[in-house]
Amino acid sequence: MSRGIVPADYPPPFSPAEAIATPSDPVDERIEVGVLIVGAGPAGLACAIRLGQLLEDSPETAERLGDVPVAVVEKGKQPGSHLLSGAVVNPRALRRLFKGRPEQLELVPTYGDVHGEAVYILTKGTSSRIPPPPTMRNHANMLVSVAQLGRFLGEQAEAIGVAILPETDAQKLLVADGRVQGIRTGDKGRGREGQELGNFEPGSDIVARVTILAEGTQGHLTGAAISRFGLEGSDPQVWALGVKEVWKVEQSLGHIVHTMGWPLRKRARFGEFGGSFIYPMGDEHVSIGFVAGLEYRDVEFSVHDVLQEFKTHRLVRKILRGGERVGWGAKTITEGGFHALPKRFNAPGLLLVGEGAGLVNVPTLKGIHYGIESGIMAAEAAFRSLQRGESPSRVGALDSYDEELRASYVLEDLRQVRNMRQVFDKGFFLGGAFASAMTITKGKLPPKDYHSEPNATHSLLRTDRAKSYPAPDGTLTFDKLSSVFLSGNRTRDDQPNHIRIERQVPRELAEMWVNMCPAQVYEVGAADGDGTVTVNLAPSNCVQCGAITAKGGRLTPPEGGSGPEYTLT
Amino acid sequence: MSVVVFLEHHEGELQKGSLGILAKAGQLGGEVAGVVLGSGVEELAAGAGRYGASTVYVADDAKLEAPLPQPRVDVLAQLVEEKGIETVLFAQSILSADLAAGLAARLDAGLNWQLVDIATQDGAVVGKQSALGDSVLVDVGWTSTPRLALFRAGIADPVETGGTATVEKLDVTFQEHSLAAEMLEQAHEESSGPSIEDADIIVAGGRGLGAPEGFGMIEELAKALGGAVAATRAVVDAGWYPYSAQVGQTGKNVSPVLYVACGISGAIQHKVGMQGSKVIVAINKDPNAPIFEFADLGIVGDVQTIVPKLTELVRARKG
Repeated sequence: MSRGIVPADYPPPFSPAEAIATPSDPVDERIEVGVLIVGAGPAGLACAIRLGQLLEDSPETAERLGDVPVAVVEKGKQPGSHLLSGAVVNPRALRRLFKGRPEQLELVPTYGDVHGEAVYILTKGTSSRIPPPPTMRNHANMLVSVAQLGRFLGEQAEAIGVAILPETDAQKLLVADGRVQGIRTGDKGRGREGQELGNFEPGSDIVARVTILAEGTQGHLTGAAISRFGLEGSDPQVWALGVKEVWKVEQSLGHIVHTMGWPLRKRARFGEFGGSFIYPMGDEHVSIGFVAGLEYRDVEFSVHDVLQEFKTHRLVRKILRGGERVGWGAKTITEGGFHALPKRFNAPGLLLVGEGAGLVNVPTLKGIHYGIESGIMAAEAAFRSLQRGESPSRVGALDSYDEELRASYVLEDLRQVRNMRQVFDKGFFLGGAFASAMTITKGKLPPKDYHSEPNATHSLLRTDRAKSYPAPDGTLTFDKLSSVFLSGNRTRDDQPNHIRIERQVPRELAEMWVNMCPAQVYEVGAADGDGTVTVNLAPSNCVQCGAITAKGGRLTPPEGGSGPEYTLT
Repeated sequence: MSVVVFLEHHEGELQKGSLGILAKAGQLGGEVAGVVLGSGVEELAAGAGRYGASTVYVADDAKLEAPLPQPRVDVLAQLVEEKGIETVLFAQSILSADLAAGLAARLDAGLNWQLVDIATQDGAVVGKQSALGDSVLVDVGWTSTPRLALFRAGIADPVETGGTATVEKLDVTFQEHSLAAEMLEQAHEESSGPSIEDADIIVAGGRGLGAPEGFGMIEELAKALGGAVAATRAVVDAGWYPYSAQVGQTGKNVSPVLYVACGISGAIQHKVGMQGSKVIVAINKDPNAPIFEFADLGIVGDVQTIVPKLTELVRARKG
């Protein structure tokens, strides 16, 4: 019997080695910085701010690091432009970041603390409220927009002397003599065929004593670094895809809502695992999103459309009634957990932090505070390695980061829930039972470890899944293109394609990509007689969610400044 | 209050866009001057009086022959400084955008761009700027003079006032670095009709045409109507038509008198580039296509039969 169509059998024309290079600019043309951070998200910016604080107290170290002691490169238009999350944030890491600086902590943009929560199991026509599972209790956590948090942290970082380089994509990791030397930024002003346009500007080598990758989900260089330095964990990394909207509503929501069940199908063979969140953002807005694991198998499965379907439930309609959609976005979430963590979080001259390093707790739906915490620890380790008599390129010089991280609550939390995500492969109810046992015993039960398969290795199946998606009405439910518009995406159309996929594939695979993508990037093109079709691409629609990397292709960073411009997500 | 509008000219004619801004400038109250820069343009300059300019400043110099921005920055900077000009307005074009940016840098002046309107409110000059993908209009102002403003294409029509203008010649001195660039060659894209930004009539084609060949009938209809051809992103992406004809969020913004959308579904990305058109006619076989929500006249049917028929009727009517 054939095993059916498996996305992983159609690998993209991409090798991680392409993202590794040696410095190529003449020495006097390289941009030299002390510590280089890739990615202006919570982890990267916390790292930058902590470094700024340490250097403020140690001007002689700052002096040794040259004109630009700390720099952050960010591919979006500004810090926050590519950030999207729920988000309910555990405040402990932010408190540590701004310890002794109450006036800064006070300014953190938040919609207040969580005051009440409700968890529902849905069927198409009903909702049953259940007591929140222990992992989902959020009392005293803060409600935030992570895009706003990113903007704020960016301002704090700049205020303490950090150089932020927005609209700059980190295309290659510079490695020479067995150590990481920095990054090469992407070219700008190339045409569709890669030709140099009138405004062409080549990328640059940015060389640094320490390079910290804080790229978030699907980190382009993080993946390359893990493979270059052999840091793969015991399990492959897996992802979920979240699509969310921000609504202006007529009546305030007050409490947070999570749901499980409908519109996902419970049977294990569909591989549909996930749920929704609805969070208040002050009295006037709510954030509503749907997250589903990318191990799903149905060709017609579409998280964007599942979210639209979800909004037609009576429970949700009531919350959104009379409201207006004001924001939309999509992003993958790293879900591999403990078993998929890299073997080490450092290599000579290199540190991995935040979600890119796999620091996400799926059962508690948290990761932002791990990002911040790991950023702080990375800053401190980098700082120690830059002291006189030490060198970050010495093998083991950055090991103290791994030691601190492993001794911290971050890794302990992840260890306790290490098997929780995987057991849901067994289906909703059996998985739920295992999950409860794990929570009660702090991870001691069940006694064996469960492992997951890469998202792209699940064979495809087809049901008439799409039939249940509502037709967009432009009021409650929306199509993908108008959603992409709302994300603020106005990427230049005539730039080279940044999405690597096999272009000639079986129809089922092409259709799976079409449905998977929340931004309408893929299109089934001409049939070729032998059962395969050509996949057409509209790369400028891409909001860089990263689902394609999980499902058999490879996202690479487009020209800096491309992609969505999230403000409220 | 002294307002000057930069009047762009091309092949011996003042451009409609900048004459429209001349009319718009009248809203600010007071007299409006124009400025024409070029070689052998004195006569042309006087013509601006008919469209509301009370004074037209002219710099006539061989060095202003080529449409290069830097020498023009020199002239405008001198004009602003010597005459104490408070506001300089530009209509969107490649030359104007370069020039406005260069002038802003030279004079350390504030430049607001993509404006759709301008007015005086409580003694202050306030521009209207479209933001967030055209979903809102925001008020923008200037904290100092001179104020520079660049208007979006096609937001105002010229108004004939039948007046006459005093033509005042400017003495110009150029800075050495401003003359460093030299025009070697000017190539024009082969096109039979007007450019889409200046056209009063646009016939646009989308995916509903079925194949690149479908643009043949679009060009025929455009020719019959005396208009220009535009395209959606999808067909430009697919290589059916050149990027220069793309209308929409990531293409050109147009606001012709008549926009005929053939086989275009009307995604919002397209809509924001053409919603300023005065009359929108849509031909699409899908009655649920979003374009019918904002078209003034909708025809549900097959473009393949309707467009050639329409072309025939237009030709018959025009004789």
